[in-house]
Amino acid sequence: MLSGGDKSEDPNKTEEQKQSDTEMKTEEQKTKPTETPKDTSEKPAETKAEKPDEKTKEAKKTEKPVESEKPIEKTTQAKEEKTQTKRSDSMTLLEGRDVDTITRKDITDDFKQAVVDAGAETVGICFQCGTCTGACPSGRRTPYRVRQLVRKSLMGLKDELLADDNIWMCATCYECQERCPREIKIVDIVKIVRNYASQAGYMADNHKATGSFVIKTGHGVPINDATKALRKSVGLTELPPTTHEFPEALKEVQTIMKTTGFDTLIGYNWETGELE
Amino acid sequence: MGYAYFLGCIMNNRYPGIEKATRIMFEKLGVELKDMEGASCCPAPGVFGSFDLTTQQSIAARNITIAEDMGMDVLTECNGCFGSLYETNHLLHEDEEQKEKINKVLAEVGREYKGEVNVRHFAEIIYNDIGLDKLQEAITNPLNLDVAVHYGCHFLKPSAAIGIDDPMKPTILDELVEVTGAKSIDYKDKMMCCGAGGGLRSRDLDVTLDYTKEKLDNMIEAGVDIIVNVCPFCHLQFDVGQKEVNKKYGTDYNIPVFHLAQIYGLAMGLSREDITIDAQQISAEPAMAKLDEMTGGE
Repeated sequence: MLSGGDKSEDPNKTEEQKQSDTEMKTEEQKTKPTETPKDTSEKPAETKAEKPDEKTKEAKKTEKPVESEKPIEKTTQAKEEKTQTKRSDSMTLLEGRDVDTITRKDITDDFKQAVVDAGAETVGICFQCGTCTGACPSGRRTPYRVRQLVRKSLMGLKDELLADDNIWMCATCYECQERCPREIKIVDIVKIVRNYASQAGYMADNHKATGSFVIKTGHGVPINDATKALRKSVGLTELPPTTHEFPEALKEVQTIMKTTGFDTLIGYNWETGELE
Repeated sequence: MGYAYFLGCIMNNRYPGIEKATRIMFEKLGVELKDMEGASCCPAPGVFGSFDLTTQQSIAARNITIAEDMGMDVLTECNGCFGSLYETNHLLHEDEEQKEKINKVLAEVGREYKGEVNVRHFAEIIYNDIGLDKLQEAITNPLNLDVAVHYGCHFLKPSAAIGIDDPMKPTILDELVEVTGAKSIDYKDKMMCCGAGGGLRSRDLDVTLDYTKEKLDNMIEAGVDIIVNVCPFCHLQFDVGQKEVNKKYGTDYNIPVFHLAQIYGLAMGLSREDITIDAQQISAEPAMAKLDEMTGGE
């Protein structure tokens, strides 16, 4: 059953199960198309009586070594030669497609540890239930998937993850973290991954601009003339008693940013006051 | 009783009526608010937390040392500032190694984080330290408004570290609003984010506005007069963002936006000029007219 990758539906399945399988398939297909047969064949076992369940477990065991060697081997090989078969003139669109499988060369071995060392010790206990993605308001309107971000961190898919624009779609609303059954500090993981992305140079111009405002004025949103007048009109000091009013305090903030290397990170030019 | 008053950026540099109302209100309540001279941006948790946590924690810790020198707990009226400062205070308090690391940075400017003060939110201080009874005594002009209460995210979450109220079904803000005579109206997905945080507003305005529109739709569906928030960034998102939603989606939304301090100002007799409500993008006229109806235009 497992080896054959038989996709025929179990007639005993309820409509709901079928539906959830289909949903699962469509999501997984996007990222790991080769795992689909495994998923469909495993699923019904959960609802069946004990005996078949045990069988499945055994089958799974025997399959395991193969699994760890083979599907992880990734080549974007065209299946062209293999697939000059009887199915080529059938209705399938899948023949001759590039197979996009994850291989060792996509994995940065120490990335998980780097995430842990940066303060997200809990990343390792994620069991991929997907509650986080279900709770995520950005997940409802963008391709951002929290569960994937955590999974890729664990797998060490560093390059792929850091280059992904979608990791910036998190609004840090904590809905995922509040619901996580493992109490994983998910937002910390998001921030740490973004820290590594920033180090790799993936920073939006608008974000860098906010950083440069803090270097220049001590404020991410500095005062303007309209607000100065408004402050005065209600009897407040024109400038708030912050770095705006105390230049020596601004110097402290600037020294801190030089010490941590934030100025270099965002490419701030102290002479021109501009971003490079 | 007194607090080190942390201003931040958006309140003092965009919506000074919130600051004005807060200062007057604390005067009336007889509670000291002392300026944290030379404080900076918290710093903005979205950009700084995402770019470099060490920088974020160092600047936040510097701000906290100003309050430590004053020997007072920090009071902030912004969820973003609260998040940035509270998280840093919490982390450095618990993690000796990280504290040492940040103190090495602070040593460059002759400062040391000691972990001697708490970082607290305006709304929580009013509720716990001042109390609803004392607050009610100061209210001279009750408000007959139906309110969409917006909690925002970083006031209550992450709840495991903050623990102010239940993050799914809180009551603190609703109680704080209703003490003015206004009514908190329940609406769909009330606890949802405004869409501004995490650097999302400056990274992708379309996604941000999609959040904001959903919130506004749900508020309108429930039939409210005003939005009340406890975060100048959420405030800006509902004020400026509401205009942007109208432009993007061709809608004509006009729900006036108030920070909790601004409705306390009105309820304690401040004028609409004092709370600078007329300098905001969305007109407060409908709400002010409803208030005038009750007082007979006084």
